[in-house]
Amino acid sequence: MKRLFAIALGILTAIGGFVDIGDIVANAETGARFGMSLAWVVVVGVIGICLFAEMAGRVATVSGRAVFDLVRERLGARVALVNLAASFFITFLTLAAEIGGVALAIELATSVNYLLWVPIVAFLVWLVVWRVKFDVMENVFGLAGLALVVAAVALWRLGPDWGGLLHGATHPAVPQGEGHPTWWFFAIALLGAAMTPYEVFFFSSGAVEEGWSRADLITNRLNVYIGFPLGGLLSLTLMAGATLFLEPRGIQPGHLSQVALPTLLVLGKLGLAMLLIGFFAATFGAALETGLSCGYAVAQYFGFQWGKFVRPADAPRFHLILLVSIAAGAGLVLTTIDPITITEYSIVLSAAALPLTYFPILVVANDPDYMGDKVNSWFTNALGSLYLVLLLVVAAATIPLMILTKAGS
Amino acid sequence: MVAGALLLLGACTGPVRSVDVYESKAGQTAEVAASAVQTALLAVDAAKGDKAYGRYLTQVLVEAEEDASSAQGTFDGIQPPDRRADALRGRLDGLLGEATDTLAELRIAARRGRFAELPELARPLPKVAEELGAFAEAHG
Repeated sequence: MKRLFAIALGILTAIGGFVDIGDIVANAETGARFGMSLAWVVVVGVIGICLFAEMAGRVATVSGRAVFDLVRERLGARVALVNLAASFFITFLTLAAEIGGVALAIELATSVNYLLWVPIVAFLVWLVVWRVKFDVMENVFGLAGLALVVAAVALWRLGPDWGGLLHGATHPAVPQGEGHPTWWFFAIALLGAAMTPYEVFFFSSGAVEEGWSRADLITNRLNVYIGFPLGGLLSLTLMAGATLFLEPRGIQPGHLSQVALPTLLVLGKLGLAMLLIGFFAATFGAALETGLSCGYAVAQYFGFQWGKFVRPADAPRFHLILLVSIAAGAGLVLTTIDPITITEYSIVLSAAALPLTYFPILVVANDPDYMGDKVNSWFTNALGSLYLVLLLVVAAATIPLMILTKAGS
Repeated sequence: MVAGALLLLGACTGPVRSVDVYESKAGQTAEVAASAVQTALLAVDAAKGDKAYGRYLTQVLVEAEEDASSAQGTFDGIQPPDRRADALRGRLDGLLGEATDTLAELRIAARRGRFAELPELARPLPKVAEELGAFAEAHG
């Protein structure tokens, strides 16, 4: 019974924890501009993140070491340094975006300028990372993030033309008046949002933090194969809401407040309150995850003691990296660059860096020295290789498309 | 870094030599302003049905006004290349002025907590939204 509860809790946490500011912004902007025509990208992204997160979780469970702890050992210092530089930069940008996202969510509830909230949010993120136990932190914010389900309830209450939505999703076409390059640029942004590198850093390091053993392999699979797809479904409901309410009116959402409009128009104040709680929890939870991931990535590369499973005094450099990353992330938002703009760049640049994150996972997950009999199956390898080819194409196309479309404007 | 620098350069407002480019910028400006006006209309709908908290509504209206004003400011900073562009500028400026004036009134009323007045104050907006949308379609 206790084990079942742990598995259910893990799945629910994975659902709530899947959505972050990148998913919220990317799905709403895409729905408002292209309807459901890019829903297939969310599906491709979810399959990709499931595939590699399961590998990363399995590696951590079997070897007792986080994936990126092994990358330097397996691929050498130089290759691992390139991997670290790219992944850290993207994760840091995402951290700044999440801190900005939390501040924006509070601004919506208080009408006090988000910039005033940024230092407070950064302090709270640091405090939670410093003081709160790993499992408590993960479960509380993951479960609170489930409040975003209210967007799905609103969609169901609205009773839309489900056939029309499904038709739009299954017959992807570039809408009239939009160019192919812009459509593809948004597809890349959605993929970047769904497969953000920090998700695997956090997932594999989290398995070590929680002391997973081989008995937890089933938990790993269930969390990933059930939790993440349901989280992806949550992202799709945000896209569908934007498709139904914002696209017909020509609204281009550039603010978090606009993403909430479909839900509140259907469910009223209670719906709005739930959604704001969901925004807060999803972005705050992701700020914790990205902050920790910054620390994990650097500490694991340099071989410092890392993790919340040891006392802060025993991992001072890890906590120093965390503190500096959070402070610098808050500093970036305080320059008054719009947090939504930071989010847009973080997800697009993350798409450009995806092969650097996911290639080493595939290599380590195939190494019998680390994995023993738990190396990848031929099917996982075939699918993983297919994804790497896709990610290479995406990485090569990202910057040219960003320049050509002026970042999708 | 290079990509970022190129994008920043591309975002700068500079002189426009061709009327076609000016027209396209006018169309884009109308599109942004129409989006802001439509957002405000949804917020007013929410206020009418008492579906949202005052602070949230105020925030939506503040942002809508900022978006429309910022689009107008950027467009007005572009030098029109010839007389045809002057005419285009005059027409769009009229629409933008009406939009920003009404959005400002909505923002002021919301900040003072007079949410019941929003539907009345928003009366001109559906027509402005329609005209901005038509302008964007014709010149985008």
